[in-house]
Amino acid sequence: MPARRRIGSRVSAQIALAPALLIALVMYCGTTGWTLWISLTSSRMLPNSVFVGTRQYDVLAVNDRWLASITNIATFGVLFMIAALAIGFLLAALIDQKIRAESLLRSVFLYPFSMSFIVTGLAWRWMLDPTLGIEKLLHDMGFASAHFDWIIRPERVIYTLVIAAVWHAAGLVMAIMLAGLRGVDREIWSAARIDGLPTWRVLVFIVIPMMRGSFATAFVLLATSVVRLYDLSVSMTNGGPGISSEVPAKFVMDFLFERGNLGLATAAATTMLVAIIAVVAPWYYWQTRQTRGAAA
Amino acid sequence: MINPSGRRPSRLSPGRIGLYAFLVISALFFLAPLYVMLTTSLKPMSEIRLGNILALPESPSLAAWQTAWSSACTGLRCQGISVGFWNSVRILIPSVIVSITVGAVTGYAMSFWRPRGAKLLFAALMVVAFIPYQVFIYPLVRIFSQAGIANSLAGIVLVHTIFGLPTMTLLFRNHFAGLPVELFRAARVDGAGFWRIFWRIMLPMAVPIIVVAMILQVTGIWNDFILGLVFAGRENLPMTVQLNNIVNTTQGERTYNVDMAATLLTAIVPLAVYFISGRWFVRGIAAGAVKG
Amino acid sequence: MIRKASLAACVATLCAMSAGAQAQNRAEVIHWWTSAGESAALKVYADAFNAAGGMWVDTAIAGGANARAAAINRTVGGDPPTAMQFNTGKQFDDLVENDLLSNVDATAKAENWPAVFPPAIVNAVTRQGHAYAVPVNIHGQNWFFFSTAALAKAGAEQPTNWTELFVALDKLKAAGLVPLAFSSQKTWERGLFSATLAGAGGGDMFIRFWGKRDVALVKSPEFRHVVDTFRRLRPYTDAGATTRNWNDATAMVIQGKAGMQVMGDWAKGEFTAAGQVPGRDYGCAVLSDRGVGYVLGGDVIAFPKTKNADAAKAQLLLQKVLTDPATQVAFSIKKGSIPARLDADGSTLDLCGRKAQAWVRDPAAQVPATELLSPPAVTGAIEDLVSQFWNDANMTPEMFVSKVAAVFQQSF
Repeated sequence: MPARRRIGSRVSAQIALAPALLIALVMYCGTTGWTLWISLTSSRMLPNSVFVGTRQYDVLAVNDRWLASITNIATFGVLFMIAALAIGFLLAALIDQKIRAESLLRSVFLYPFSMSFIVTGLAWRWMLDPTLGIEKLLHDMGFASAHFDWIIRPERVIYTLVIAAVWHAAGLVMAIMLAGLRGVDREIWSAARIDGLPTWRVLVFIVIPMMRGSFATAFVLLATSVVRLYDLSVSMTNGGPGISSEVPAKFVMDFLFERGNLGLATAAATTMLVAIIAVVAPWYYWQTRQTRGAAA
Repeated sequence: MINPSGRRPSRLSPGRIGLYAFLVISALFFLAPLYVMLTTSLKPMSEIRLGNILALPESPSLAAWQTAWSSACTGLRCQGISVGFWNSVRILIPSVIVSITVGAVTGYAMSFWRPRGAKLLFAALMVVAFIPYQVFIYPLVRIFSQAGIANSLAGIVLVHTIFGLPTMTLLFRNHFAGLPVELFRAARVDGAGFWRIFWRIMLPMAVPIIVVAMILQVTGIWNDFILGLVFAGRENLPMTVQLNNIVNTTQGERTYNVDMAATLLTAIVPLAVYFISGRWFVRGIAAGAVKG
Repeated sequence: MIRKASLAACVATLCAMSAGAQAQNRAEVIHWWTSAGESAALKVYADAFNAAGGMWVDTAIAGGANARAAAINRTVGGDPPTAMQFNTGKQFDDLVENDLLSNVDATAKAENWPAVFPPAIVNAVTRQGHAYAVPVNIHGQNWFFFSTAALAKAGAEQPTNWTELFVALDKLKAAGLVPLAFSSQKTWERGLFSATLAGAGGGDMFIRFWGKRDVALVKSPEFRHVVDTFRRLRPYTDAGATTRNWNDATAMVIQGKAGMQVMGDWAKGEFTAAGQVPGRDYGCAVLSDRGVGYVLGGDVIAFPKTKNADAAKAQLLLQKVLTDPATQVAFSIKKGSIPARLDADGSTLDLCGRKAQAWVRDPAAQVPATELLSPPAVTGAIEDLVSQFWNDANMTPEMFVSKVAAVFQQSF
């Protein structure tokens, strides 16, 4: 193959990467550096250059609301991701079975994703409100002792966020899984049928491993939406009752804008960043080791 | 000739019934909030205040929808959310195209070619994807105003590209990484270069993932509020600004029926995109299996 | 073709000329008054400005924090609006420190502000001897709104102090009504706490708490009494408070399902929309054990520094329009507030408004609101603690007091 073409392609690849590299360098690194710097100052509504060392981090470390936010997001994250991945995959697998009205069903599961949470959060709030929604419905139907008041109980309210979030995201997971499922060679299904394997066996032991990419994509998308969770917490419970459904991104937002405390907000954002790096780095090394192995 | 004999196999086995039952029950769960929103949007405020959210409207009326679209007050202007509709479209189309294109090309370059800096870039993208983007608003405003693109359509398109880059790159890189590498090698042997392989081979095979990318970007950009508010400039304020003005008044009256109607109206465009793009799901991989 | 071109050029020039003439007094105002009632009120100012030769360009953004964030980012990004709304108080401190606001001394002198605005308001807009914002209204934040029907049903009298308050609450509870209609969101929890502080603790304590961040006060038995009183209120609210918006709580009072609500005077809009009249269908009062204790806040308009001479002219014109007494009254009637000017003719205000005007004219009866005393960062930190204390029965008053003291000892 002509060497010139080979080099030309390499250069093309480098050029193709240039916009992303530029953005990453200037925007991401630059602004992240700025965020880190501001977290070491006493900035309030506007940035200033008054260096105060780790004072903001000290305040953060004993801030009840921040600590509650971290616990809440951990609980929320685990439950939400498991539920969304499982339900999304299940829906995709079922819909893939040549269902009637596939289009309609797909739309039913996917439509929640199209709506911003500002008002759908209110709808969920009403449904979960013991005096307006499901509990009231159960009482009206005659189950007088039925309870479903999680949304006003500090120790249960985070589960209500999980429910609404799964409602919102399962459709997207389903879409990603469907894209992955449809990418699996149809011959595998026919071969399995000839061999007499039940569908679910094929699914679990053959197809899922082939869909690693889809799972990885869905996982990362869900994980980023967990860490950035904000709208839902605001519109459903506004962090309440008290601080029992506060989440880190809401902490950052509230202190960034409403409470004019850039120093504290950037300290919180930097803490989130460090925590993310601590989690992503091992996964990343594992990933690169895998691809290196494959390329060999 | 042998004629088929015996009972015609029933298509409705217990497994099949279970399948449909599960799907229908799930569908009910997913539809419940929509039911609440629809019925509320068809009721007058007096009925809503009585607090029976699951009841059907006594005399359903589209008045709230009318108000939401064309006469709700969003400040001095009382022209509903229709004011920003075309602004949202003008922001949406270039932003979606540019962000998906850059993501696709970057993901493609990363997965097959691995130029210098690709790994580090991928790591950086993954990490940044997790940070609440609001933190970046202030420094970006300063950078953009120096560059002269603050308060402009170009500015908001660039902002959406910047914030969409991590997820878009991830989507495409993972998808391409899952494709058989023989395809790529065969094309190289045939003498195809970087762009040719992208255009002729990889892109057609990425149709399902382009659909997913479109779902993500159309939803995210159409529903975006704060970025459009800060970067688009007064002439280009998207519909979500009016939606926010209707729905989030702090000390004024809250008209829930108008709020619900406005939200449902705003959701129509992403829903239409989902519906139309749904066809491509059926097609699957256009090019089919490995050649040769 | 040539004729078309010259016609087009003619039209373009005419347009440019008229735009130029209008552009001389073009004022873009960023604010968060977006509901129907607020828009109607704002229209009063906008129409007055347009009638005076200006061109009001409206940029409304719901949510105070959103509006302020947008205004600040625009200013910092080099494209400031002509005017922007703030709450009366410390919200624009950083802008003044960073030299981003023009002072309004010229208007202040011309209108003789110290004589026409209450001292608390004048102080709130003055920094180092210069005035930086125009007060447009005054909102009372700690009103008690009573449902006449509910009180009658419970056989309770409208209370005049905090002892009588608890008597009335008990009677309402015994009658099976919701004694205190409440919306358990952080802002309103803090509002109820502030009302308790001003009412059961008094104006001086309020100022020492929010303004001076007095740690000795926080540890004193008098403050403990306020904390206990605050906690005593909780059982009188219902379970639905957690998920309710403030106006739904007002609806409970309007429908006679609840006895009272503690809210700012913007709640009057809901009563009026339901056709209720103060004095007849609902009562309004500020309860205190020491004096009146009317907590006074409001809105102001500030003016970013601009290099554009036309914009500066527009700013001056806008300031003049905003401080006109008759316009302030017309605005306040629609908004539910009262005019900031002491010499405004309040005879057209409703019963609650007239009560408030008397208090505004009497410095002993009023208490500056939290926004005037405390920077948003401090207020926010305390707000979180108050919300925790209200919702978590396991948090003892001692824990609350010690955490508040810790916040006050931080430097901000």
